[in-house]
Amino acid sequence: MIDFLQNWIYLTGSMALVGIGLYIVLTNTNIFRIIVGLNIIDSGTNLFIVTIAWHPKSVMPIYTATNNLVVNGHVISADPLPQSLVLTAIVIGLGTTALALAIAVKIYQKYGTLDVRKIKEEDR
Amino acid sequence: MMSDTPEIVKKVFAIFVVGVLIIGFFMVFTQMPKGNEVNVNNTVSRFYVMKDVDQATQMLDKGTYFNKDMVPLRNDVPYTPITFGKSENLEDGAANVVTSIVVDYRGFDTLGEVTVLFLAASGVMLVLHGEKRKVPKKKIAPSEIMYVGTRIAFSVIFLFGIYVFIHGHLTPGGGFPGGAIIASGILGLFLGRQGYSPNKAGLTVFESLSGMAYAIIGIIGLVAEKSFLANFLPTGTIGNLFSAGFIALIYIAIGMKVGSELSAVTNAMIVDTEED
Repeated sequence: MIDFLQNWIYLTGSMALVGIGLYIVLTNTNIFRIIVGLNIIDSGTNLFIVTIAWHPKSVMPIYTATNNLVVNGHVISADPLPQSLVLTAIVIGLGTTALALAIAVKIYQKYGTLDVRKIKEEDR
Repeated sequence: MMSDTPEIVKKVFAIFVVGVLIIGFFMVFTQMPKGNEVNVNNTVSRFYVMKDVDQATQMLDKGTYFNKDMVPLRNDVPYTPITFGKSENLEDGAANVVTSIVVDYRGFDTLGEVTVLFLAASGVMLVLHGEKRKVPKKKIAPSEIMYVGTRIAFSVIFLFGIYVFIHGHLTPGGGFPGGAIIASGILGLFLGRQGYSPNKAGLTVFESLSGMAYAIIGIIGLVAEKSFLANFLPTGTIGNLFSAGFIALIYIAIGMKVGSELSAVTNAMIVDTEED
């Protein structure tokens, strides 16, 4: 069990983050809390994508004076492609969060509340 | 109505959904090799790491690119490993392999990403447009320490952001983190002085010019190398500051664009929603 945790602690952590975020989204009615939950899911997904490209004995994918990525014809670095995809996903997550918060500000100004149930009742 | 359902039932249902999802995640372990059996020798990424697509293709037998099992590399193809500070004129001279993927091999993807960020920033400004910044009744001015401290910190943070995006091809970081660092410095200025507002027209012009610079660099590649966003500069020695061709130029453009964009978003978000 300890060996498993040492090797896959990030994978377990990413699953925990996604689970916590999904629980927050499902059980809260406040729009701001839902946005926070979606952000936690975002972090968990990014950590998951980076983790499946990583293994405990891999080195970072950057050439330095002491860090060789190719040893005896074998590439020993972590997979750089998912990391670059996550670099994209982080920025887009930031943009969508900013847009969601701006819309939440407008919703509060119109209805005077951020509770989705009360907003639904007022719409009737 | 929905709210008739008891609270405990909702929570139990939520825990059930989360549990199903986590079981789905754990199915990954059935597909995964253990420990050091994993390497990127049988994925596309080895082409990026070896920095020579032709040679990396030759070292793998034909038709085995996407095999699920491990395929050993061919030994009969000569291969000189890349040495930091010595290898010259590689296909892509960036020491940071992630940067070479983001800006060089998948540069068009990054152009789309910059567009998405631009759309999100435009959306924020569109939604919050015409918001009058109401002056609160009690003016609580920040203390002298805050006023002076944020200004001193801003210069250091600004310099660090520039360092991060200029060294994007050598160290972790790059244009997006660098721009975010600069925007965080400007957020500090908001905290330090009440009623601070950056020059909005200047931010817009700066953002548009750096976005145009990215597209123009791509078109120069189209003219010079017959491919959009192709590297038209010599790649130099791996590990030097002046290496990797146009990657540093593009990251400077991205850094300035992201920095000014996020500063404008911060400026739009600081609105007082309280009633007078």
